[in-house]
Amino acid sequence: MQAILNIAKLSFADAIRNKVAYGVFTFLLLLLATASALASVTMGRTELMILDLGLGGISILGNLMAMIITIQSLQQERESRTLYVLMTRLQGRWKYLVGKFLGLAAVLSIQIIIMCAVLAACIDFFGQIFWLSFVQASLMTLFEVYIIIAVALLFAQSSSLFLAILLTLAVDISARFTFVIQQLGEQSENLIVQGFTQSMYYVLPNLEAINLRNQAGYMAHIPWHELGLMMLYAGSELAFILLIASLIFERKNLS
Amino acid sequence: MSLIDIQSLHFSVPTGHIIQKRKTILNDVSFSVKQGTSTAYLGTNGAGKTSTFRILCGLVRPNSGQVIFDGEVMRQGLPPKRFGFMPEHPYFYKNLTPHELLTGLGKLSGLSSQGLPQIIDNWAEKLDFTQVLHQRLSTCSKGQAQRVGLAQALIHQPDFILLDEPLSGLDPIGRACVRSVIQDEIKRGATLLFSSHILSDAEAMCDQVVVLQDGSIRYAGDIHSLLSPDAKWLIQAQGKPVWAQYSDLEITQTLDGTWQIRGANMQTRDALLQQLLSSEDTVLISVQTEQGTLESAFLHLLQSKEENDASHS
Repeated sequence: MQAILNIAKLSFADAIRNKVAYGVFTFLLLLLATASALASVTMGRTELMILDLGLGGISILGNLMAMIITIQSLQQERESRTLYVLMTRLQGRWKYLVGKFLGLAAVLSIQIIIMCAVLAACIDFFGQIFWLSFVQASLMTLFEVYIIIAVALLFAQSSSLFLAILLTLAVDISARFTFVIQQLGEQSENLIVQGFTQSMYYVLPNLEAINLRNQAGYMAHIPWHELGLMMLYAGSELAFILLIASLIFERKNLS
Repeated sequence: MSLIDIQSLHFSVPTGHIIQKRKTILNDVSFSVKQGTSTAYLGTNGAGKTSTFRILCGLVRPNSGQVIFDGEVMRQGLPPKRFGFMPEHPYFYKNLTPHELLTGLGKLSGLSSQGLPQIIDNWAEKLDFTQVLHQRLSTCSKGQAQRVGLAQALIHQPDFILLDEPLSGLDPIGRACVRSVIQDEIKRGATLLFSSHILSDAEAMCDQVVVLQDGSIRYAGDIHSLLSPDAKWLIQAQGKPVWAQYSDLEITQTLDGTWQIRGANMQTRDALLQQLLSSEDTVLISVQTEQGTLESAFLHLLQSKEENDASHS
């Protein structure tokens, strides 16, 4: 456990100073600009429009930052040979991946919390919403980002920088349409297409299943048992992806 | 007693994209490293040195063969707390400072947080990177990063030290500093295996040599046994050239008329000395033994293999 925490600390300290992490400030500037623009053109509930735009923006930017920071961090560790030095100090390569995940998840959590806090302040300036559902939706956005970090770890340790970004992006996009993919398969009469879409439905993480952004601010709160189930699903997905990544990493020649 | 026994390592990598072929990197590599010795692992570029080191670290798996460390077969590299590794050209986390990096790696090696700052300061002083200890690694020069790399390998005082090109990228002062630190570690009782292309430094630091060529071992043993076949004698004399009757000598004359006679055959040397001492027309100035350098022995070893290969083909 100590080894995992040490890897997490090193990864955190390196990633928090990564220039990509400053993407959070780009978001804040864009948010303030959009809020002022919306306030001048909308009639009625400006705060709800800012909420929708803001949470959507946090999700997109959070996922992009998760992808870039994770893949870049792993590639740089390989190129700078830090990976070799770390590996020779660990018994079990999985500890490296889990430590790396925890360190990067901590960095992105801080960024997302900052973005959500500024968004909340912005919304509060224009009006009131149901804050509990906003917090619940923000929490599930964090889980979404954690899943993307795990997917990026899976691809970054087994492919090149460009391919890893492409594959993670593909999973990120398809994971929002798993239900559509399944329906497409059901409409097809071809057994191969049906089999393929069915397996994609089960293999890909279903990010829409943990998306609460549409309810945030409009509902008083999402029932706690539903939230619990969503967190359980996200946690299982995370554990499954990290397990696959660790199994591949254990067998990989690091040359 | 051997600390490490490397037995019949075979390692190949796939090449090509559509039709997979395999390129042999290591072919039946076997040698041992004795406890408390310093062994230079030499070879040309692409000979397989780094691959051997990566196998020892458990970063890659050999196709066959095994590594025995202190009597135990290692399946996933050497035991982390007992060995220190420095890869070639390390750069590490560019956003961290050497202090932060060494703290993290020290803790990973099992050192306690309390004594660690003092240990880091000592290493920074020993390896002369105190001035950049709290600066980001991205601002460090190649030589400074190399010293930090050596510090992380030695920080936990391992029994076995594995260094891939520890002297590359260092200025002469840096090389002397690193050499002295490595020699201190050997005096402490650590066992060292290192690769280097700077053979003069390797010669000063090692007592055992392993030479690798095209993935196969060409020589493994004591450095003196490797150098002695190359040993030559040098006689300096003035006067009548009584040595003209010997055919296997290399003779030059300096501007002041002194003759320098070099040869490898000891019987010829003794006969010539007797002749010089008994002759009244010649003055013997000096007799010296010129031992070959590691560089000349290394080149000789590799060239003889190439000549053999050419004659066979």
